[in-house]
Amino acid sequence: MSESKQQVSRRDFIKKMATGSAAVATTTVSSVALPAEKNKRYAMVIDTRRCVGCQACSVACKTENDVPLGETRNWVEYIEKGEFPNVRRSFLPRLCNHCEDPQCVSVCPTGATYKRKEDGIVVVDSDVCIGCKYCIQACPYGMRFINPKTGTADKCDFCLHRVEKGLVPSCVNTCQGRARIFGDLNDPQSEVSQLIATNATTVLRPEMGTGPMVFYIDADHTDERDAKKQGIYVRIDTHRRQQKRV
Amino acid sequence: MHELTWGLPVILYLFLGGLGAGAGAVSASVLLRSGGGDQAGLGFKIARCGALIAPIPVILGTGLIVLELGTFEAGNWFRFINLFKVINLSPMSIGSWVLGLFIMVSLVYAYTFLKADPHPGDDRHQLRKLSAWAMVVLGVGVALYTGILLGAMPARPFWNSPILAMLFLVSALSTGVAVILLGRSVFGKHVDENGNVSSDAYLLASSDMLLIGFEILVIFLFIMYSHLTIGSVKVAIGVILGGELTVLFWFGFVFLGLLLPILIELKYVIPTLLFQKQYEIPRSMEVLVSVLVLIGGFLLRYVVVIAGQITGPIGI
Repeated sequence: MSESKQQVSRRDFIKKMATGSAAVATTTVSSVALPAEKNKRYAMVIDTRRCVGCQACSVACKTENDVPLGETRNWVEYIEKGEFPNVRRSFLPRLCNHCEDPQCVSVCPTGATYKRKEDGIVVVDSDVCIGCKYCIQACPYGMRFINPKTGTADKCDFCLHRVEKGLVPSCVNTCQGRARIFGDLNDPQSEVSQLIATNATTVLRPEMGTGPMVFYIDADHTDERDAKKQGIYVRIDTHRRQQKRV
Repeated sequence: MHELTWGLPVILYLFLGGLGAGAGAVSASVLLRSGGGDQAGLGFKIARCGALIAPIPVILGTGLIVLELGTFEAGNWFRFINLFKVINLSPMSIGSWVLGLFIMVSLVYAYTFLKADPHPGDDRHQLRKLSAWAMVVLGVGVALYTGILLGAMPARPFWNSPILAMLFLVSALSTGVAVILLGRSVFGKHVDENGNVSSDAYLLASSDMLLIGFEILVIFLFIMYSHLTIGSVKVAIGVILGGELTVLFWFGFVFLGLLLPILIELKYVIPTLLFQKQYEIPRSMEVLVSVLVLIGGFLLRYVVVIAGQITGPIGI
C-alpha cells in the first residue's frame, strides 16, 4: 500500500515541479489520491462448530502441494475431554497463521521467507532458502519443516498458486462442512470480514505477539496443563508425526 | 517443540566458534596489553599461542554448520553462499558476516606469527598490531552473536533471555583462555625441571578464574530470572531444575565445568594474588583445569541447545 502511495506522490511531485511551484507540491503530497488498487490481506476463519474432523483438508493439502510423506502443512487435532456424560470432543484444524508480524521472516538470514506486500501471504522462496532451520525454531506454531527433496524450509502458503488464479486454497475448497472460510480482510464485504465482525474469534498463542491471520470460532484451547489444573481428563491427538502438540 | 532441529553439529559449532573467537580475542588483547603490542616477552608469547589456535576451531565449527544445512544434505552444496548475497537484521545474517570477517582476519593475524622468529618490530608487526585490534572486536562479536542467535525467539522460552548472549560471551572467553593454557601446557615450552609451569601462566590462570567467577554470576542471574517469572519461561527452565537435563547441567556444567576448575585455580592463584608469592602450578593441574573448562563450555552449549528445543510456549 505504502509503495503505490509513494509512486503516486512522486509522480504528483514531479508534475508540480514541472509547473514550477514546489511550495504547492509540498502541501499537496499529503492529500494524495488513494492508490488505484488496494492491497489484499488474506485471512482464514475456521468455524470449529462446523468441523467434523474428517481430515479431508489434510488430504487435499497433501495432494495439492505434494507434501512429502511424514511432513504436514495442514492437519486437524482432536481434543477429547471430560468423563461421561460430561464430555466434549472438538477439532482444531491447524495451518500456517500467515502472521501480521511473522517471527520466521524476521530471523531469515537470506530473505528467502517473506510476507507478500500484495496479499499478506507468508511464502518461502525455495530457490533462495539455504535450509538453516532458523525459521523452524522461530515459528511458535511448529508449522515449518525441511522438505527432504529440496532441503529447504516448507510450509502452508495458502495455496498461493490457486489463490493467484482467483481460486480458494485447496483445504477450503474441499471442506465439506464449510468450516474453513478464506477471504480478504481488507474487503469489509468479504465473508471472513463479516464472520469476524459477528462472532467471538480467537487466535492461537496470541501472547507470542505474531498477530495470526487464522481466526477460530469456538476453538477449544485446552491443553494438558489446563486439564490438570481443572482436574479433568483430556486427550489430544495431533494426527501428525509429531505426537505432541508443538 | 520436541524435535531436535539443531543437533550435534550446531552444538559443536557454538562451542568451537566460541572457543576460537575467545582465544582470538584473548590473544589479541594480551598482545595489545603489552605496550600496544610493542613489547617482547610474556604477552607476546601468549598472544602467539592464541593467534595460532584461534582460526582452527572456528573454521572447523563453521564447516560443521554448513554440513547441517538442509540444502547441503539435499545435495545443493553451495547454496550457503546465499548468506553472503544479502545482509539483513536477522542475527544469523549479521553473524555470518561477522564470522566470515573473523575467519579472514584471524588467518591474517595467525599469518603474522607464522615465521621462524616472530618478535615485535619484525616485518609483519604493523599488520599484526592492526589485525589484533580487529580481532578483539570480531572475537567478541562472534562470541556474542551465537547467544543473540538463540535468544531472538519468543517461541523458544528457554533461550529468549537477554543474558544468554552474555553467558555465551563469558563462556567463550573462558574457554578461549583455557585452550591457550592447554596448548602451552601440552607443548610444554614453559615447564621447568620440577614439572611446574613457569610463572608467566599466572596472567592466564588468574583471568580464567575471574571469567569463571563472572560465568557463575551470569548463570545464577539466568536461572534466577527465569525461575522468578511465570508461564512458559518458568516451565522451560524446569528442564534444568528437576527436569531431564538437571544432572547434566548441574553436575556436568556447573560442578565439573565451573566449580571444580575455579576451586583448583583459587588454590594456586590465591598465594600470588593475595601474598605476592611466586606462581606455581603443576603441569598436570594446569592441563586438568583447562580440560575441565573446555568440557564445561561444551556441556553449556549442549544443555542450552537441547533444552531450548525440548521446551516451548505453553497453551495453544
